[in-house]
Amino acid sequence: MPSVKMYLPPAGRSRRGFVKKGLFGGALLAIGGGLGFLGARNPVLVPLPREGLMTFDHLEYSVIHAIALRMIPYRTGFPAVEEVRVAFNADRVLQRADEGSRTELKRLIHLLENGVTNLLFGGRPEAFTRLSPEAQDQVLRDWQNSRLEVRRTGFQALRTLVLAAYYASPLSWKAVGYGGPPPGFHQKDAPVWKGGGVPRPAGNGVFAEGSE
Amino acid sequence: VNQGRIYTGDELEANKVVDCDVCVIGSGSGGAWLAHELVTQGLNVVMLEEGGYFTKRDFDLTESTAYPTLYQDLGNRTTEDLSISILQGRNVGGGTTVNWCSSFRTPKRILDLWRERHGVEGLDEKTLEPHFAAVERRLRIKEWPADRMNRNNQVLWDGLGKLGYARGLIKRNVHNCANIGYCGMGCPIDAKQSMGVTLIPDAVEKGLTVFANTSARTLQLDGRKATAVQCEVFDPRRDAPSGRKLTVRAKATALCCGAINSPALLLRSGVDGGGQVGKRTFLHPVVVMAAMFEEPIQAFAGAPQSVYSHHFADRGTDRMGFFIEAAPVHPMLAATALTGFGTSHQDLLEKLPFLHASIALTIDGLHPEEEGGTVELRDEGYGRIKINYPLTERHFEAFRVACKEMAKVQFAAGAKKVISLHYDPVTMTSAAEVAKLDAARWEKLRVRVMTAHQMGGCAMGKDPETSVVSSQLKVHDYDNLFVVDGSVFPTSLGVNPQETIFALARWGAQHVKAAV
Repeated sequence: MPSVKMYLPPAGRSRRGFVKKGLFGGALLAIGGGLGFLGARNPVLVPLPREGLMTFDHLEYSVIHAIALRMIPYRTGFPAVEEVRVAFNADRVLQRADEGSRTELKRLIHLLENGVTNLLFGGRPEAFTRLSPEAQDQVLRDWQNSRLEVRRTGFQALRTLVLAAYYASPLSWKAVGYGGPPPGFHQKDAPVWKGGGVPRPAGNGVFAEGSE
Repeated sequence: VNQGRIYTGDELEANKVVDCDVCVIGSGSGGAWLAHELVTQGLNVVMLEEGGYFTKRDFDLTESTAYPTLYQDLGNRTTEDLSISILQGRNVGGGTTVNWCSSFRTPKRILDLWRERHGVEGLDEKTLEPHFAAVERRLRIKEWPADRMNRNNQVLWDGLGKLGYARGLIKRNVHNCANIGYCGMGCPIDAKQSMGVTLIPDAVEKGLTVFANTSARTLQLDGRKATAVQCEVFDPRRDAPSGRKLTVRAKATALCCGAINSPALLLRSGVDGGGQVGKRTFLHPVVVMAAMFEEPIQAFAGAPQSVYSHHFADRGTDRMGFFIEAAPVHPMLAATALTGFGTSHQDLLEKLPFLHASIALTIDGLHPEEEGGTVELRDEGYGRIKINYPLTERHFEAFRVACKEMAKVQFAAGAKKVISLHYDPVTMTSAAEVAKLDAARWEKLRVRVMTAHQMGGCAMGKDPETSVVSSQLKVHDYDNLFVVDGSVFPTSLGVNPQETIFALARWGAQHVKAAV
């Protein structure tokens, strides 16, 4: 089981501002927030994790899974996103973010999924999870290269969340030729010195005159 | 002398009021040296640190542990628009726990500029010399031997040499370093002479009291005096307020929270310095070039930074200079920093061991037009800070030139392919193709920009109209309130900042002591 300790998207705590980049950005987020009922129809949902979800709802979890499949497609040597449990890892790590950031990320996920916004930007009026892999790639590329800063920012937030949730996992290390931390260095039982009259243990940080 | 004590948030079971001579807020490069000097001179000092107290016991050398535990905003601090990722430490020891050990004295031209343009007095090479000497001795700062250089730095060294560009070996604050390359995740053998294993325990032995997991929320002010620091204690298991409060009543108070959190604390306390607090924030904005080699580079192994080039540090008055170093490449940082997605992204990641990374750090704030960024408070949310940093034409000109020069260096060292970190990456297979970078889109959020150096925001200077603290580091209009960290720099440095902050704090201790 991969660790659930995970890196957050750079969207993290400071993403708030990107929703306020003018009226258009605000309108986009309003759609993401639920007004775009047309586009929210018929999502493709994936099975929920047996442990349940802490941050995402079923749809959000499914959208993150769909993004992960495009960010890290099935490939020999790379463990599948299902095996690494990317959407699950992302759910757990977002728990540690503040409420405002979580809300914004959820809106962003709904915005990507929403068929109305896809239509608005020249795509098909279908939910992201329902598009073919090629069409999903195109939507992601449109976000990545958009002339609208708010979409480029949103793309980065989602991309980082998903990639970090995959590549922070030791399961991914073999695929990238990384052997992991060298053994024998981490001292998980090392005593913790806090002073209070206890003699400071010897170590590399201690400096004695003439020790050079 | 009675030994002091490091308390963690879980040890504070009731609200508490503490009296002392000096309250030092922050435990990084500034706070640790300042506190050490003051306790050495017999003062009763309390240090506050919002982050946790982590030691080699906690450093398991994985990115998934290190970033959320040891860095600000769980490793995700960014500018408001996400155009610049900001790596900044948050723990007992601050940035020194996680930085890459590079140590430089302040360049003379920077000290001259501060004096001539910003009215800084009494801070020259001669004054700082004994402080640099003491810092270098205590922290065993020495040039990293060329024969221990890792391949990632060797590439840079070779390429710079072939092009005849100025190059040098970096000095590092390490002792008995095993050269494994995990400095950014906390040193597992205390070889890195970070504040958490050197100056802070030295000072605790001399009586320093440290409260970790303790967030200074506001300064209590009365006329020209800071009378108390109001703090919230965090539960270390949740890294969230425990409900307990700590109040520190001190004869003098020093903010050492770094260039983003120090101005934020002043602003939370209603001190805006006539609008100067949180202005002129400088970041050494960094662009990266990745290069693929036929032979393994293993840029995740070995001392992360041991080679530098200041060849382009001074590009004349009209253009922003930059300096070049190498960067370690661990999987998660590489995956998120490298651009693109899908198959092309996997193609790059699959060759991680063959990847070299050079970085160019732009030297911002030297030209009068370069006003840097801003730090502001948010209306809502717990302690959230708004950081804005406009990237201008001057930045993008420097980024473009820097990326071209890094590509040339990488090809000169034998790179088979060089890739920019544009969202739409520019890929080159020979030095003849570096001009392709001229056609790339040099705009924000179209190319990755990051920083690990935060400076400014409480600028030092003579004129209260244009600065926040005096040349004695005292906040204008207050008699016993100081800022002692990188936020007092009136400009960026043009070198990695830790050693300047060490020396500045050691020198500045006399001024803080004089206010007690």
